[in-house]
Amino acid sequence: MSGPTSAAHAAAPARSGPAPDAAPPHIVARGIAVEFSHGRRRQRVLQGVDLSVPKGSFVSLIGPSGCGKSTLLKVLAGLIRPTSGSVTVAGTAPQEAVKHRMIGLVFQDATLLPWKSAAENAAFLLMTADKTIRRGAALERAHAMLQLVGLEGAEFKRPSQLSGGMRQRVAIARALALDPEVLLMDEPFGALDAITREEMSRSLLDIWQRTGKTVVLVTHSIDEAVFLSREVHVMGTGPGRIIETLPIALPHPRTDESFSDPAFGRAEARLRSLLIESHRGRGSDA
Amino acid sequence: MNRDLATADDAARDGRSPAGDTLRALGEVVPALALLAGTLIVWEAAIRLFKISSFVLPAPSAIFVALVENRVPLAVAAQATAVEVLFGFVLAAVVGIATALVIVRFERFGKALYPLIVLFQTVPKVALAPLLILWFGYDLTPKVALIVIIAFFPVAIDMLAGLQSVEPSFVALMQSVGAGRSEILLRVRIPHSLPHLIAGLKVAITFSVIGAIVGEFAGASAGLGYVIQIASTQLDTPQVFAALVVVSVLGLAFYYAVEFSERLLVPWAPKFDATHRT
Repeated sequence: MSGPTSAAHAAAPARSGPAPDAAPPHIVARGIAVEFSHGRRRQRVLQGVDLSVPKGSFVSLIGPSGCGKSTLLKVLAGLIRPTSGSVTVAGTAPQEAVKHRMIGLVFQDATLLPWKSAAENAAFLLMTADKTIRRGAALERAHAMLQLVGLEGAEFKRPSQLSGGMRQRVAIARALALDPEVLLMDEPFGALDAITREEMSRSLLDIWQRTGKTVVLVTHSIDEAVFLSREVHVMGTGPGRIIETLPIALPHPRTDESFSDPAFGRAEARLRSLLIESHRGRGSDA
Repeated sequence: MNRDLATADDAARDGRSPAGDTLRALGEVVPALALLAGTLIVWEAAIRLFKISSFVLPAPSAIFVALVENRVPLAVAAQATAVEVLFGFVLAAVVGIATALVIVRFERFGKALYPLIVLFQTVPKVALAPLLILWFGYDLTPKVALIVIIAFFPVAIDMLAGLQSVEPSFVALMQSVGAGRSEILLRVRIPHSLPHLIAGLKVAITFSVIGAIVGEFAGASAGLGYVIQIASTQLDTPQVFAALVVVSVLGLAFYYAVEFSERLLVPWAPKFDATHRT
């Protein structure tokens, strides 16, 4: 339908989920600053971060190491309270959103419990969050989520019997089992090899299209960010801040052909030059 | 050959294949027994060849004779020592586990307590034995106290390491669904710590046997340590060795009891097997 000429607009209408322009913001951060104190020394990790993520959108945070992108994700998850600024997730504070199981988290390490099966691991956070749920119901949901992430047949395996990619799939299923509105992912594929990584990106895209969750992904990979996101927030260092927000004008649904779309190349080139710039900025800071 | 993890795990879960397990166990024991037999033969031959007095070093045959002749008093002594070891070990495990839990659950108090425990560890505890006799008398209590003092430390330290071995990102996940410190401790940290705890218990059980014998040396009216002391003052060296054999068998039995509990408690943990690593 749309060619590269529509590049000014964020994205073509997606197959599922509301269009980003029409959707109300789901995650809003205003003037976020985070300071860590090491004894007497205070380190400013984030400053003046504004972020708005529409409901059902997929956005990425990309930037050099030390730009505070993981810290920003933890702020959105309610794990770190910002020194100043405000965050709302679905209209409430993250600490409140957590209580209503609105936030699902996935980290670089799958961190599965070695004494539990894939299904028990996938059900574990749900059973922690919801004390009233019956074990059987939680496991049933876990099985459904494992199926969604492509792990049918591995439900009863222990983590030691699963590959790195499969373990990460369990971690994603575990987050999805909470049926959160927002999925926050901190370099979820960072520890995987290149081929598994691409496969996981495709899976994630598929999961996002089928569930319509709002996804915020922290990544190091420019390709991954462009292929998956509607919007990429490029972060810089010293202190960490968002230096540019780049809408990705690739049509949805995205397929392997998206890689050869001219819009892909343009977005990639733009991100690369921004990252080189911010990296240089880091050098002059140090 | 290297056994792969999945196979070992499957075997553990399916119950076991008795024939295969027995064969494997035999395969592991036979070389050790052969070496032991060889050593005993050389020992026996050397004693006879060089006509060494049994006051200095008795031949294996003499030790065996002493074992058989004194089997009743040795068994009675072994029972007394075993009771001390058992009480001491269980109490040491409880104290060690409790110490680790307190340090992790109450962070501030833990920070104050930990250095004191380490400091206490530098005191040569064997030197406390006479004091414990002075305070608690000659029966069971001072031995149990000595064992607890010696054996709780490895339990506490390993349990602590286990409780703290949970990845910070998993703790973050638990917090992200509203779990508090106690729930994380109970549902994540404690199960995570079990393989470490077992490692600590294995050290503690050997320490417990040492503690019991030292405690009996310092003052006792029963037990294998007491038998050894009496026999050595009477220059009955074969009896000393006979008692030592019983101590070793006792220690071995306790050690393998702990190792057996590992299979029940932590079937998921990769088994530590020094002889099978390549």
